[in-house]
Amino acid sequence: MKIKHASWLIVATALLGFTAAHGFDLKEEMKKKLDEVKQQAQPEATPAASPTPPAASAPSEQQSLLAGFSEKEEIAIGRQIAGNLLGATPLVKDEALQRYVNKVGRWVAAQSERPDLAWHFGVIESSDINAFAIPGGYVFVTRGLYQVLQSEAELAGVLAHEVAHVTKKHHLKILQQGKLLDLGAKALGKKIGEDEKIRGLIGSGAEILSRSLDKNAEHEADRMGVVLAARAGYDPFALPAVLQQIARVSKEDTAVSLLFKTHPHPDARLTQLAAAMGNRFDQVTGLTLATRLQPLQP
Amino acid sequence: MKRFFATICAVLLGAASVAWGAETGSMIKADELKAEPFRDAKALGKLATGDKIEILKREGAWYQVKSAKGAKGWVRMLNVRRGEAKKASATSTATGVANLASGRAGTGQVVATTGIRGLNEQELKSAQFNEAELKRAESFGVPAQEAQTFAQAGKLAARKVKYLKAPAESR
Repeated sequence: MKIKHASWLIVATALLGFTAAHGFDLKEEMKKKLDEVKQQAQPEATPAASPTPPAASAPSEQQSLLAGFSEKEEIAIGRQIAGNLLGATPLVKDEALQRYVNKVGRWVAAQSERPDLAWHFGVIESSDINAFAIPGGYVFVTRGLYQVLQSEAELAGVLAHEVAHVTKKHHLKILQQGKLLDLGAKALGKKIGEDEKIRGLIGSGAEILSRSLDKNAEHEADRMGVVLAARAGYDPFALPAVLQQIARVSKEDTAVSLLFKTHPHPDARLTQLAAAMGNRFDQVTGLTLATRLQPLQP
Repeated sequence: MKRFFATICAVLLGAASVAWGAETGSMIKADELKAEPFRDAKALGKLATGDKIEILKREGAWYQVKSAKGAKGWVRMLNVRRGEAKKASATSTATGVANLASGRAGTGQVVATTGIRGLNEQELKSAQFNEAELKRAESFGVPAQEAQTFAQAGKLAARKVKYLKAPAESR
């Protein structure tokens, strides 16, 4: 209990540190919040004063602390990661392509739980076969992956997988579990600027994108991706078809080294998808729109 | 449930169908060879795990395949692994990616992407913030309304589909 309590103080502090960047007095807010957390963490000491049962109040506080960032904060974090990624590899210089990808992506995202997020999609100059989901609604597909695609439905399926990561806040959760605690400890000692805070949170550059999510998060994004694409009217088997294509690429091929390092092998993902889909989608078809897929200029 | 999906099918025109040239694959799970791409279509025979097949085309959940014995029919695409089962050597690796890249046209023409590199962990880690490029990326965003117009132009209609549960073994 004691250890748990102490870690909550750090989390609370870290969150406050973040809030302070938006114009609050850090020390004052921190003191206030710490007092609140102390009360929440020791409900059994003052049962009469607590309007809700202790068992219920503690987890809810826990949830609200861990649910963490406001949408504004999430976007600020996402902007920094997206800007860093684009610093490593720029967008493909093709405005028609970029607008096209945004239309497909936005339509798919409209089927998700976060239809109103300011979604941004893009194709980046990398020969790797990969795609990235960044908090706040930034999604990037590499040129190498785009080249594999044979229809708009396949593009939609890939984007839908990434949209699922964003709506489920998979990467944000990694940040909260890891760096945030360090930052909280640092914030106790000094006042730091917003940029520095975000940098402290996301680590160096876009390294968060080279980290693996839990494999169940990937399988979940696959399952959601299939459904989001189907909801958007596309062929639900387009994402599995892309995975089957990628499964054919040798593990030794450098084009897939980062993808295969950070994700379960496509064969494993397909096995999981097959188990989840069963025969539920046997007769569910959808459009492939192969001819509308915007060609990629060399 | 059945009626729900039947409705979806009825509403949809132009069902997904993707054709390839001859491509090999193998069964990763035993399945019936069906006369048509439907669950309750007549079974023409059985394919066992590991059986080699030739993939002719896809229609939604189904691959039209030709068995080693020459029987033609439909199996669920998720019971199939595409491509050769053997491990690729360094040379065939390059061909593998080239084949992927050329898949769309099917002409075998591959445009060289010399000068474009991949992304490794070190590059991601040392990446520097590029404000101009980020603003450019943001400038291409489209409002929801525009995306909807675009969907309508492609005859894409939104429909209700429930999320899938995790299969028992992974929970």
